[in-house]
Amino acid sequence: MVAVAEAMPVAAQRADPSAPVLALTGLAKAFGKIRVLDGIDLAVRSGEAVALIGSNGTGKSTLLRCCLRLIEPTGGTIRLLDRDVMALRPTALRALRADVGFVFQRHNLVPSLSALSNVVHGAQSRRSGPRTWLQGLAPQALRAEALQCLERVGLADLAGRRVDHLSGGQSQRVAIARALMQRPRFVMADEPVASLDPSAGEEVMDLLVGLLRTDGVTLLFTSHNLHHALAYADRVVGLRGGGVGLDAPARSQNVEDLRHLYD
Amino acid sequence: MTDDTLRPATRPTAPARFERPPLPAFLAYLVVGAFVIVSFGQVDLSAAQLVEGIPSIGRLLDRMVPPDLDRLDSIARALLETFQMALVGTVLGLVFSLPLAILAARGLSPHPVIYYAVRSLISLFRTVPDLVWALIFVVAVGLGPAAGTLAIMVDTIGFCARFFAEAMEETDKGPREALTALGASRTGVVFSAVIPQAMPSFVNTALFSLEKSTRSSVVLGLVGAGGIGLELKVAMDLFQYSTASTIIICIFLLVLVVEQASSHLRSRIL
Repeated sequence: MVAVAEAMPVAAQRADPSAPVLALTGLAKAFGKIRVLDGIDLAVRSGEAVALIGSNGTGKSTLLRCCLRLIEPTGGTIRLLDRDVMALRPTALRALRADVGFVFQRHNLVPSLSALSNVVHGAQSRRSGPRTWLQGLAPQALRAEALQCLERVGLADLAGRRVDHLSGGQSQRVAIARALMQRPRFVMADEPVASLDPSAGEEVMDLLVGLLRTDGVTLLFTSHNLHHALAYADRVVGLRGGGVGLDAPARSQNVEDLRHLYD
Repeated sequence: MTDDTLRPATRPTAPARFERPPLPAFLAYLVVGAFVIVSFGQVDLSAAQLVEGIPSIGRLLDRMVPPDLDRLDSIARALLETFQMALVGTVLGLVFSLPLAILAARGLSPHPVIYYAVRSLISLFRTVPDLVWALIFVVAVGLGPAAGTLAIMVDTIGFCARFFAEAMEETDKGPREALTALGASRTGVVFSAVIPQAMPSFVNTALFSLEKSTRSSVVLGLVGAGGIGLELKVAMDLFQYSTASTIIICIFLLVLVVEQASSHLRSRIL
């Protein structure tokens, strides 16, 4: 386990803790006439864990997707891992996405494939071709790395099981292993435990935040669970009315302070 | 709250038993109905004709029984050739169907022009009947099983490429987004996230296609495109009805075996 952590190049990225990994300036996104994001300014520094909160429809998921241009923003600038995201051409955009892990609310695994195949897919961030399509086709080194990632999330024993035969919590852990397989420098998680029961949710958050802190990977996650936001983040950012309504250290806030964002 | 407050002010009225269609729809029904009635008159189908035909069918059946087993060897060879035409034609059709289906799937096709061009090509393959393709290939490559195999291949592409494309369009978009988010190539997304999800549907379509091809391959011989159809045509033309009945029984057994095997495989795989 320690060997895997050392193999991850992310630790090297912690050199300048003050440099923002992500910097948004005037980020805007409108769907037709509805302006979901209307001039967001936000900086996430290296090694930080930032929780993004806000009521439904305030644009938390949209913001995360805009950072990787999974949704095209309508305005503003995005600087991510020292690259001007809006100026990137398709190949350079793919290279940027390769450095960023993304954990989705509904895990988004390929249901008919094994856990190991799904984790091997993470290697497509750095390698194309059929040898990353299925674990059976993968070279030994990739299979071993994928298995180690599954071991880190405690699922090495279920490597061969189809993911549609796993529980919700187990599936989300496989999704985290897939993100680890990318050897990411930055991870975004979009309500990663929203579909899990409280106990499984806490387990998954412990695992996600613990692993990323071990590797020194920066984390930006969205959540409706204010306790999670305060417990797992260094900083809490609240969205309201298309802008940033709150940006404060987590330790300076309590749940009651955060509730006014939902009024 | 009293009973009075619960009682509605007026009695609710039930909707009409049948809705009156709007005038254009009514006229359209009228035209279609009239055309069906006129068509019955045009095809000269009469009960008297059917009754008069029964003795002829009886005489034909009488001459077909017992089936002549003398030519069983050559019939078996033709039957094997028929199935081989169906098998090779289907396999070739499946091989070409997959790339065409990817180009014809909404959300996977690289460009709208390519999408519409490939969709049109697939529609052409599907709408022209296999017997017409067989006639075209007989002219192109000559009489024999090669023409039949090519006709089956084209027919399979028309059938499978469309269903493959639809199966891929219907897959869950989540895994696709996840693979895109981690920097996978377009090909990587298709082969890692889309095709594995669509695979059960692919297998189902492919097996149906093999059944369909087996039935098609039987008749393609009628236009000289190889297989047992030619044997059947010759037997009928030479009034060798007992040989023809042997051929028909063999065709029935072949189609039955393929359908049963396909059904068994589907239940095992899916």
